[in-house]
Amino acid sequence: MKIVLVGVNHKTASIDLRERLAIAPSHLEQATRSLLALRGVREALILSTCNRVEILTCQEPQAAPIEEFLAAYFEIDPALVRPHLYEYQEEEAVRHLFRVASSLDSMVIGEPQILGQVKESYLAARSAGAVQSNLERLLQRTFTVAKRVRSETKIGSSPVSIASVAVELAHKIFGTLQNKKVFLVGAGQMSELAARHLVEHGAGTVFVANRTHERAEHLAGQFRGNAIRFEDLYATAGEADIIITSTGAPEPIFRKEHAQRFLHSRRGRPIFFIDIAVPRDVDPEINRLDGVFLYDIDDLQSVASAHAATRGKEAEMGEAMIEAEVAYYRRHVGSLSVVPEIVALQRVAEEIRRNELDRMLLRLDNRGEALSPAQQAAVEALARGLTNKLLHHPLKAIKAAARAGDAAAVEAIREALGLNLTGRYGFGDPEHDAATASSEGELRAAGESESLENEFPGLDSPDHPSEKGRSR
Amino acid sequence: MFLLWLRVAAVLYAAASVAAFPAVLYGRPGWRRIALPLAAGAFFFHFVSLTEMLVAAHHWAPVGTREVQSLLSISVCFAFLLIVAFYRTISFGIFALPLALLLALPTALGYDRGGTASPMAQSGWLFLHISTMLAAYAALFFSLLASLLYLLQERRLKQKNRIGFLTWLPPLDTLNRIGSSMLLIGFPFMTAGLLAGSLIAQHRVGAAYFLDPKILLSFAMWLIYLLMIFVQRSSGLRGRRAVYLSSFAFLVVLSVWAANQFSLVHRFAAP
Repeated sequence: MKIVLVGVNHKTASIDLRERLAIAPSHLEQATRSLLALRGVREALILSTCNRVEILTCQEPQAAPIEEFLAAYFEIDPALVRPHLYEYQEEEAVRHLFRVASSLDSMVIGEPQILGQVKESYLAARSAGAVQSNLERLLQRTFTVAKRVRSETKIGSSPVSIASVAVELAHKIFGTLQNKKVFLVGAGQMSELAARHLVEHGAGTVFVANRTHERAEHLAGQFRGNAIRFEDLYATAGEADIIITSTGAPEPIFRKEHAQRFLHSRRGRPIFFIDIAVPRDVDPEINRLDGVFLYDIDDLQSVASAHAATRGKEAEMGEAMIEAEVAYYRRHVGSLSVVPEIVALQRVAEEIRRNELDRMLLRLDNRGEALSPAQQAAVEALARGLTNKLLHHPLKAIKAAARAGDAAAVEAIREALGLNLTGRYGFGDPEHDAATASSEGELRAAGESESLENEFPGLDSPDHPSEKGRSR
Repeated sequence: MFLLWLRVAAVLYAAASVAAFPAVLYGRPGWRRIALPLAAGAFFFHFVSLTEMLVAAHHWAPVGTREVQSLLSISVCFAFLLIVAFYRTISFGIFALPLALLLALPTALGYDRGGTASPMAQSGWLFLHISTMLAAYAALFFSLLASLLYLLQERRLKQKNRIGFLTWLPPLDTLNRIGSSMLLIGFPFMTAGLLAGSLIAQHRVGAAYFLDPKILLSFAMWLIYLLMIFVQRSSGLRGRRAVYLSSFAFLVVLSVWAANQFSLVHRFAAP
């Protein structure tokens, strides 16, 4: 079984293609079910955001290519998608997933939405029954890593999405947004998002004016605000502290003389114009007026990018943390993957012990020299002690080799001990799950789980990168 | 003993100043938590020191240079703590705390440029006059500072320069409110100071005192102050024009103070 991640993102594909491959949150579960039906796919998760569509699978080596799913589900020519697709396997896939969830691979590094989107995808995949032990372990680790990167670096300290930049600017002008009036002129998606952010941060009344009054009413209803007729635009604008415009008007609808009138009626109280429209709705000359602040889409984006640049250093720290986490994850999975070998070795040793003991007891019995129950128990204890002592060093060596990710050494020890297990365990192990699950069960039954846990500590163990950091 | 408390206060001012810079410029909340108690501690010890100093001198009026400096220093610190309490911004600390330290330091080091207590110094009216005038100066200083910071913040926002050295500046609205309220707070202090001074002068010198050009300048200053508040309140003046007005008023106050300090045209004790 191997972990594979296939996808397109803002770096590899245009928005046109990303739009065609996008899956609405409400359809994620059903899409994941379809993906699970693909030959050889055992576990699956689909992440679909405005900047990326990624498919994470845990699949058999001979599984059908993910392109088949894309072609069938989106009814798209695979040749159209292929040049834009990237594929990561095993450790690379884990690293990419950690980077995505930690927002290090985002268009705007450090943006906070992505982790929530990964969690949404995880919930949808779970509902579709597409998350089993492998992805469960990987995704839980992913969430922890993403939270760690966010909390231990300052990667999310400055706002870098358009809506959050608008909120930050409004804070810089008004101090608090409590009771500030927001006027949405035009009902675009981005202006709606900006207004939503402002309201979430305490803004008061929301006015909405749109050429289609019904649309204005609908949007105003969402904010419990007031719909204004487009003709009454200028009469209401003077009341607003923040005006967000996104109409499709070919000429500016707010000019300097309008702003002067608004300022007069507001006794000089500042007005913040957020112009998201292209072509622009607000005459740039307005920004020259005392008390008027105008930010258009380019301004907002440049602020966001500037913030993003300052995150570069923090991102480097985040990358280093991800590397440590990937290495740790590899060790963890590697350590788990030798469990079947350990069990097999113990089984062989136990078989030998049992056989030799039976043979010896039979021989003594035949000679009429049968052992008493007490003597029999002592001999059994002696044999068990000997096998355990003999197994101690080989087991230690195989665990160490697995932890170091030294597949060749694991293989050599396996050969030397004559273990006849097929396949390679860890990243890319074809029978890893079943073997590990049954082996863990056997070990537990044999009372070995405790010692195994000691040997292969859980993810919050002292050798975890975060624990090391803390102890320092 | 007062010198010991003043030295403790000076050390605390210095520590608070050092802590204020990372708290303000780099937005480190840990330093903020250090700077504020240090500033409050400095204020407390300074208050104790000033009280002891005046008690030891057997007068309530700060007549010597060091006493006046010390009172101005504590007024600046008090105004800063008021701003922190009401506006939740520590940004002014990078100006106020070093200024308070600089004003307190000469006295703390035992440096005295003279200033002997006259019989007038026994008067409570003189204490009222000096302390209220110093409080008004401190308020005006903060008003001007807030206006200047307003100008910088406005410039940054208009030029869309969001990254850089001045990211620590408080919001425009906060600066505007600090500027306005400091002006309003300063006015009653200045009025009380002038009234107390006039009463003392009337008592000591008589009506001729009011013909002195520097005294007339002081009343002109008060009128300008009043006019400025009126203009600002009636027209909602803010932004650049408010800064120009505050700066003008502060310059007038500074000129009057300088004239009283250095001009030989008139000395308070002269008949």
